[in-house]
Amino acid sequence: MSNKRRLWQIFGPVICAFILLLVVFLFPWERTFSKTSIFQAANSQTTTVFKGVKMKQEAYDDGYVPFYGSSELSRMDPLHPSVIADKYDRNYRPFLLGGPGSQSLSQFVGMQGTSKQLKDKKAVVIISPQWFTKEGQDPQAFDLYYSPLQTAMFLLNAKDNVADRYAAKRIASMPTVKNGIIKSCLKKVAAGKKLSGWDRFVLQNRMRMLANEDNFFSSFQMRDRVDKIHQKEKLLPDTYSEAALHKVADEQAEMHTNSNNLGIDNTFYRTRLPKKVLKKLKGSQRHFNYVKSPEYADFQLMLNQFAKQHTNVLFIIPPINAKWAKYTGLSQKMYQESVAKMEKQLTSQGFENIADLSKDGGKKYFMEDTIHLGWNGWVAVDNAVKPFMSQPNRRYTYDIDNYYYSEKWQNKTDVKPLNLSNKDSLKKK
Amino acid sequence: MNFNFINLQPYSNPQYFIYLLIALIPMVIGLYFGKRLKIYEAIFSLVFIFLIFDGTHWQQGVNIILYLIYEFIITFVYLRYRTKKNSPNKTWIFCLAVILAILPLTAVKVLTAMPVGTVPFVVGFLGISYITFKNVQVIMETRDGAIKEIDPGTYARFLLFFPTISSGPIDRYRRFKKDFDKAPSREDYITDLQYAVRYLFQGFLYKFILGWFFGTYWLPKITQAALTVGNANGGLKLSWWVLAYMYCYSMYLFFDFAGYSLFAVSISYFMGIHTPMNFNMPFISKNIKDFWNRWHMTLSFWFRDYIYMRFTFFAMKKKLFKSRIRLSQVSYFLLFLIMGFWHGLTWYYIVYGLYHAMAICINDSWLRFKRKHKKQIPSNKFTKWLAIFITFNVVCFSFLIFSGFLSQLWFGWQ
Repeated sequence: MSNKRRLWQIFGPVICAFILLLVVFLFPWERTFSKTSIFQAANSQTTTVFKGVKMKQEAYDDGYVPFYGSSELSRMDPLHPSVIADKYDRNYRPFLLGGPGSQSLSQFVGMQGTSKQLKDKKAVVIISPQWFTKEGQDPQAFDLYYSPLQTAMFLLNAKDNVADRYAAKRIASMPTVKNGIIKSCLKKVAAGKKLSGWDRFVLQNRMRMLANEDNFFSSFQMRDRVDKIHQKEKLLPDTYSEAALHKVADEQAEMHTNSNNLGIDNTFYRTRLPKKVLKKLKGSQRHFNYVKSPEYADFQLMLNQFAKQHTNVLFIIPPINAKWAKYTGLSQKMYQESVAKMEKQLTSQGFENIADLSKDGGKKYFMEDTIHLGWNGWVAVDNAVKPFMSQPNRRYTYDIDNYYYSEKWQNKTDVKPLNLSNKDSLKKK
Repeated sequence: MNFNFINLQPYSNPQYFIYLLIALIPMVIGLYFGKRLKIYEAIFSLVFIFLIFDGTHWQQGVNIILYLIYEFIITFVYLRYRTKKNSPNKTWIFCLAVILAILPLTAVKVLTAMPVGTVPFVVGFLGISYITFKNVQVIMETRDGAIKEIDPGTYARFLLFFPTISSGPIDRYRRFKKDFDKAPSREDYITDLQYAVRYLFQGFLYKFILGWFFGTYWLPKITQAALTVGNANGGLKLSWWVLAYMYCYSMYLFFDFAGYSLFAVSISYFMGIHTPMNFNMPFISKNIKDFWNRWHMTLSFWFRDYIYMRFTFFAMKKKLFKSRIRLSQVSYFLLFLIMGFWHGLTWYYIVYGLYHAMAICINDSWLRFKRKHKKQIPSNKFTKWLAIFITFNVVCFSFLIFSGFLSQLWFGWQ
């Protein structure tokens, strides 16, 4: 055999493989997902779904409403919003977005792919005051939820304004975002510079590759909770009434919290709070402070995104299990201060749908464990979600104020609590 | 200092290969036309080594430079001592040289075993073990007189040979020098390229597909399940999940490391250097001894040649043991104990070493028993497969120990 021929035989297949790879990566593939896999995705809380775009887009076009939140979303008792919506065949289905550590910045990035789909529509946000720590977004958690695809989308739409510069700076500061086109473009946007034609070209191709990756693989490793939801539905009464839901909640909760007197789910108590850990935690949260935090500015990014989309948003502020707060020494006064600050930030800009449950941590079976809503807490959520969802969709406009990005606001204390029931007095205070 | 370094860890992701293969092109063309572009090769290696140790890894970079100076001094002083006329060739000087050569590695192993935060500086660097193995081998062969001269340039290239710098395979100096001093003929080089491409793609399959499935996709799920169920069960915290973990981890370990080794061998072949293979279908081994001839071969051969054999000769000369069987057993324990300590100063690495020593001794006595009772013991297809099955499970169990998962399960730390 001639040398030339041997070389072809060696490298020919390699060249073919590379061409094939480029085609697969850069071809604008289209695909749709089945209704069952969308339902599975909506309830899976898998990070690939969170980071992806395609499944969310399809879901929002099909009656799903995003529930942005964190670990409480995984407390799937029979009163969980997903179970209730499916059981009573509501006009919406929740699309659960978030998990432990998915704070405002991760959520903001995760919202970039669906701005068109959410235009003039609805969304629910369950705020965790636990996000609002001194450090704000936990870099390790950010790593879990960071979506290069949606960051590229953000960059291609970024303008030279306070919000986008701030967002770019924050994302670039996360150690997950390593060198490469995305990092260098983030730095440019943060510095108020324009992206060059070449930058945009590379970003677009990168985005295409990542979008294909999302198309092919994000339905691939989802957590399957469909059976679990159907099982829990069986525990609910066939006709809806609030009183009946409370009854189920009480029965279920009593059964599931009988191992301890803190009102904590038995499994959680056994696996997460063994004696040694429990002892260590006593009085350990006395110095926790959610009032001063960069999270307030990251949260503003979310609000700005909603304002851009003219989305109608319901905010839910959950409480802390009162017995648990007492045990760990977490200050309820501080908690209320942080809640007041969030509410001020929301209402002054026109976000008026707030379900403030923050004082209900002492109600019976309201919490599933330490800081996560459950049973009667979920019923309270449903009491806010149900009327909210029955409102017709329309375009909402908000008065966004860049003051909320400032360090002054991040570190502000002594924000006066508001009376949420008096809607006229909320705006422009 | 706010300078953005590009930092590239070897073979860590598919993009890396694009940079690497582009940089290799001039070398490949050179070799195809019968020329070894030594200067280009040196620059290439230095650039890629620099990319490993720059940026946030700069302390490691300082460490490797200090280490190389230190090892060069030891090696060349010892070489001078050994090659001068009528060299007395004292054993204690040889021992001193070896001890000094492994001193940095020993220090690294001790310091990394200290609690986090107690050592105020960055210890060691990526690949210190493998450079030390190469170095010790050169000192030993110098003592034997097998190596009579060392060209400093070639020696530096040997120690820092880029494709194998981070985790082997461990080459031998004389073998390396033979390849390095010549350019292969065109026919031979095309054959090299053929293997290089094949190993590269086999490596992709192993590390980025199979290794990913076992290590990144399944292993975390199994770990979680095993911990949850184990904690619920109490006692020894065992469940079927632990068994699943054992097999999954074993597969991950093999495909990840074999994939990595294939990359190293492949890139070496592109450079016209026949770095030895590290794995040869280890899971079809018919006994433990066979396994060690197929698993991480360059390491086990190194331990065989420079620890097992050395100790055996030494002990025979000094007549330390009456029975040959006892001698080989002690040597095995020594070998595997050192290998255990080398992996790290934690209980499970040491238990892993002892376990393998025990397994190989039991295997030896079984083989002796079999030889004596040849007629009574059947040997057919079934027994062959049974042997493979048993060996496989014994090995997988050793990897369960090695993984440290039991430590996590029982004591909560790894």
